Amino acid sequence: MSMRGLHLRAGLFGVFALSTVVLGLWLLFGNHSVPIQTDLLAMLPATERHPLAEAAVDRLAHANGDRMVLVVANADDDAAKASARELGKALSREHAFDAVTAELPPFDLDQFVAPYLPYRFSLLSAADRTALTQPAYDPAQALARRLNEPFIAGIGTRLQDDPFGWLQHWLDQQPWSRSPLVPEDDLLTAHQDGLTYVMVIASLRGSSYDDGVQRDALGALDRAWHEASRDHPGSQLLRTGAVFYAAAARAGAERDMHVVGLTSTLGIALLLLWTFRSPRPLLVAFLSTAVGIVSALVATLLLFGQIHLLTLVFGAALLGEAVDYSIQYLCARANAGATWQPQRGVQQVRPALLLALGTSLLGYALLGLVPFPALRQMACFAMVGMTVSCLSVFWLLPVLSAAPARRSLSPQLVKLARGWQQHVMRLAHGRLGLAVLALLLAIAAPGWWRVGHDDDIHLLIAPPAALAQQEARIRAITGLGNGSQFYLVTGTTPELTLQREEALEQRLQSLVDQRQLGGWTGVAGMVPSAQRQRANQAALAPWFASGASMEATLVQAGIKASVANAYLAGWPGDVLKIDAWLSMPLSIPFRYLWMNQGDHSYASLVLPQGQDDVAVLRAAADGLQDVSLVDKPASVSALFGRYRQYASLWLLAALALVGAVFTWRYGRAAPRVLAPPLLGIGLAVAALGYAGQPLTLFHWMALMLVLGVGANYAVFMREGEPHTGHLPGASYASVLLSAVTALLSFGLLGLSTMPALQHFGITLLLGIGITALLAPASLPASEPSP
Amino acid sequence: MRWLIVAVLSVLASGLHAQETDLLRQVLAELAAHPRVRADFTQSRENPALAQPQLSQGQLLFVSGNGMLWQVTQPYRETLALTGTRTARIDDHGHLQVVRNGDRGVAQVSQMLQSMLAGQPEEALRQFDVEARGSTSQWSLRFTPRQQRMARVLSAIELSGNEFLQGIDVEMQGGERTQIRFSGTRDAGTLSALEARALGVP
Repeated sequence: MSMRGLHLRAGLFGVFALSTVVLGLWLLFGNHSVPIQTDLLAMLPATERHPLAEAAVDRLAHANGDRMVLVVANADDDAAKASARELGKALSREHAFDAVTAELPPFDLDQFVAPYLPYRFSLLSAADRTALTQPAYDPAQALARRLNEPFIAGIGTRLQDDPFGWLQHWLDQQPWSRSPLVPEDDLLTAHQDGLTYVMVIASLRGSSYDDGVQRDALGALDRAWHEASRDHPGSQLLRTGAVFYAAAARAGAERDMHVVGLTSTLGIALLLLWTFRSPRPLLVAFLSTAVGIVSALVATLLLFGQIHLLTLVFGAALLGEAVDYSIQYLCARANAGATWQPQRGVQQVRPALLLALGTSLLGYALLGLVPFPALRQMACFAMVGMTVSCLSVFWLLPVLSAAPARRSLSPQLVKLARGWQQHVMRLAHGRLGLAVLALLLAIAAPGWWRVGHDDDIHLLIAPPAALAQQEARIRAITGLGNGSQFYLVTGTTPELTLQREEALEQRLQSLVDQRQLGGWTGVAGMVPSAQRQRANQAALAPWFASGASMEATLVQAGIKASVANAYLAGWPGDVLKIDAWLSMPLSIPFRYLWMNQGDHSYASLVLPQGQDDVAVLRAAADGLQDVSLVDKPASVSALFGRYRQYASLWLLAALALVGAVFTWRYGRAAPRVLAPPLLGIGLAVAALGYAGQPLTLFHWMALMLVLGVGANYAVFMREGEPHTGHLPGASYASVLLSAVTALLSFGLLGLSTMPALQHFGITLLLGIGITALLAPASLPASEPSP
Repeated sequence: MRWLIVAVLSVLASGLHAQETDLLRQVLAELAAHPRVRADFTQSRENPALAQPQLSQGQLLFVSGNGMLWQVTQPYRETLALTGTRTARIDDHGHLQVVRNGDRGVAQVSQMLQSMLAGQPEEALRQFDVEARGSTSQWSLRFTPRQQRMARVLSAIELSGNEFLQGIDVEMQGGERTQIRFSGTRDAGTLSALEARALGVP
């Protein structure tokens, strides 16, 4: 191709790169919010077999997730209440919140009772239902007991509405009667351990995971609390809610991105400057890499609509691999000296780069097969980034670095590389080679023996201890459940669903009786099934069958005849239906527990409280039809385990593929070329075993990358050596350079705050490091060795 | 212990007139001097739904810090153990059956009385304004709810007495009035095994 052709192609590539940058800027900042996803659960695939379960998990996440639960604590009762009141007022002034609940609106006790009066003969507590059906039941005595209760008789329901107290007993079991929080001075208050706790709830004006919403809400809370606590020293604020966790995750990831991105950029820059002893190669290498990374970003945003934080962190690390292609090219240029011709240079490195790109793409494509949305993003990001970086070497770099290099590669590096290369080659051939291999395997074997596995979800989500502690305290004070485990009860009609829930509740009640469970919240406790309500009426019916005798009982007990008649006129009343309940204002806080998906598909969520042992909870649902315990953390852990097993198979498959490609290219020498990456993987696993680090899915993913990158090095050695015969060690020097840049970026992931990325980084550090050190072993023995 | 009660009280009741504070303090100290008390009671209740007042009689056992046994002998027999926020019925076989659990209604009032009689008025003063009248030989304390929510239901609770508590009057907004009169009040002496178990006394 002529020089003009070269320039034309470079120009076109330049236009492409520029427009990509502009498109990327517009995608990132052109819209209202930055399309960066911080919800860690969003990167997980659906884990539940029941389609409704995923919807239920979502619904719970929103009911509990898009709000802040704040608890103000102070040893001084008045100060606690005053600061909570001021916090509520200050928060309501902020635009970040949709609704703030601090001071309760004034309401009548009647509002709790009146809506239930038409249904009073259908709603009985389990104890009353049992007592009423005993042969020894004496309504006159039950009445006398109620009328002569110590101190107060008519709190809650009035005597004329509920002379026996049956409705009152049922109301006593409703969730708002059982909450440890009581309305006091119009605030939801609890007293524990000498402290007064006051709850304030603030609903966000959007999703907890939305960057803007997050920032506004946290800023607003800080301002409001500063204001509210100023006059009340000693007031403490406990906080929980998805927004705090999301913000912590974002801050951690941003820190990671900066540390990894900046440190690796600086490190690579210094390394390149030292190696090439000229700034031009540095700029060229960074340009090529930057074009690759920006294209990857744009492609990911176009394809997925948003980019996950994890992908960004991973992308920062990918710099180290993308820069390899330009390094190979620039090394060839430096080695050629004055005889450099850009076109010849491209021809020289093309086979190696294409082979390297091929194996990398293969590795990432396998990663993309894992049905984790975030892993797919990473794979897409990596494949586009690698491809564009490689193309930039073919099309852009020949023009940017057309002139021969004025200085050769740093002699120290070449000398170092040459020395190590000779050592490795001496040990890697003939009988000695076999002995060394056997020795390495013998050293590694005990490590392999010790390797364990871990699929815990906390690899992904490791919330800051301070936040977890506050959440635990708030749960202890307010009695809120943990929300990550719940029962899903389904049915084709509301009636069937409620009946199944009642079967579950029977089991739960016996757990409560055995002190294995604190309690639960479910719809059937607030709207019993029609079957149950008819059973309640049936239990009452014998006593109401003769109105005259019931009237006599009431009047004899001392009730006015007019009151008795009015009460009897209410019998038998109605059955409370789910729709009637849903339209009561009282049900508002609990409506999210009921799901009507249309098409004869109903579901009810039952939230257990006060038991964190999943085995106990699971056992309670055993054998019940259409009742299942949804345990998102456990499902995710199980999923991790499954994919970890697949990942080990995939690694074998990838090895076979790469082996096949090598056999096609190198024939009988293929095992030798494959040996360094293979040993890199094996020894890295052994090292992890010795270190006592159990293997996770993320270790296996990293091992796949070790294979991809390690194979590159073997290829670069094998393909590059013939062109650098005049400069022994130069080819290996370029490989070492690639490896160090990779280690600088991937290895830094080992510093990440996220356990998953940390595992990823450490595995790559070990694997790539070992592979790079062993890479000279892939050269044939016929190489001249002085 | 007494100095502590007095100290706490003087801080909490700082809103009261000095004289009233003195009286309240003395009354509470007097009541706290009898940590275990037995008495016979008569309760009469008027309610708009009732044609004539309800009358019941029985014995009360109060153990400071543990709760009370409300033992009705007329017109029916029933023993209730009011401990903290829990109300339990003791059946004929001496078994405890929880009737109610939670700090609402009866439990709320009984809890307030328990803390008052134990000389620990913090909880009561958080919920009620107190008006003290008379002298230590014949006093009355009138508690009116500070919480609007409670004031809608409960008008006032009045305690009266001398060395011991003599009467409790509960007035409800709906027109219910409950009067309890105590007689034969004496220190409790030893508790029976059942009493000790019901009140959780070691």
